[in-house]
Amino acid sequence: MKRLTLLLSLAAWSAWAAPAAGPTDPQIAAIVVTANQVDIDAGKLAKSKSKSKQVQDFAQLMITDHTGVNKAASDLITKLKVTPEPNDISESLQKGGDDNLANLKTLSGAAFDKAYVDHEVAYHEAVVSAMDKTLIPSAQNAELKALLVKVHPAFEAHLAHAKDLQATLAK
Amino acid sequence: MLSSDLASGGTAARVLSLLCLTCLMGARAAEPPNRVTIEAMTYQPQSLTVHKGERVVWVNKDPFPHTVSAPNGLESKEIAPNGTWVYLARKAGDFNYHCTLHPTMTGQLTVR
Repeated sequence: MKRLTLLLSLAAWSAWAAPAAGPTDPQIAAIVVTANQVDIDAGKLAKSKSKSKQVQDFAQLMITDHTGVNKAASDLITKLKVTPEPNDISESLQKGGDDNLANLKTLSGAAFDKAYVDHEVAYHEAVVSAMDKTLIPSAQNAELKALLVKVHPAFEAHLAHAKDLQATLAK
Repeated sequence: MLSSDLASGGTAARVLSLLCLTCLMGARAAEPPNRVTIEAMTYQPQSLTVHKGERVVWVNKDPFPHTVSAPNGLESKEIAPNGTWVYLARKAGDFNYHCTLHPTMTGQLTVR
């Protein structure tokens, strides 16, 4: 059930409406910060709980990279004097992240690694899709749009890395 | 006297040569370094050729760390966001480098 809730949350995010009805810049700011924080939290749990060095290394990379993106986003938000505006999507993301953590805490060993990495694949697929279809096209401020464009390749690389790890764990 | 003049002349020539060499070395050291920008998970330019004795500086414009690593001699360790790494190209060769944190990132440095 928790996994179903999570997948519905990710699907809702990635399927958000077309740019004409898309989020405002303050809403995008809230979505970006929440999306990164959710993955940082999952990474911290995985780093402390997994026994696999590959999973731990991946988790540390997620913590480092998403913390960096969030710092850049926070610096820009401060500079632009934008107040992040929580919205249905950012709240859905937060709930999905909370559900994921709750689910992961019940698992251990190989089952934990699989659940964590499977979620990372689904999460990054949703993020990349949302950036392409909604966040980048909807961003009005040029600097905010530029930041999203700049970090987009990192999310794609994370997705590829997560898929490689998923394939390795399945062997 | 003549031999003294010659000796002085020889010394002057040696001093002059040293000065010229120093000037040349100074000029090379003062040249702006060859720059590679790391941004959006790419090295720009992706390929760079320099001469022995020149410097190359990598500048990380991404909000997270990267490395410049090649098994035959380059190892920057982690370059922090907005950080730089300067390499003095002492050894000729081709260096196919990558980021150890993000292995999809690759670049090439050729030292002639």
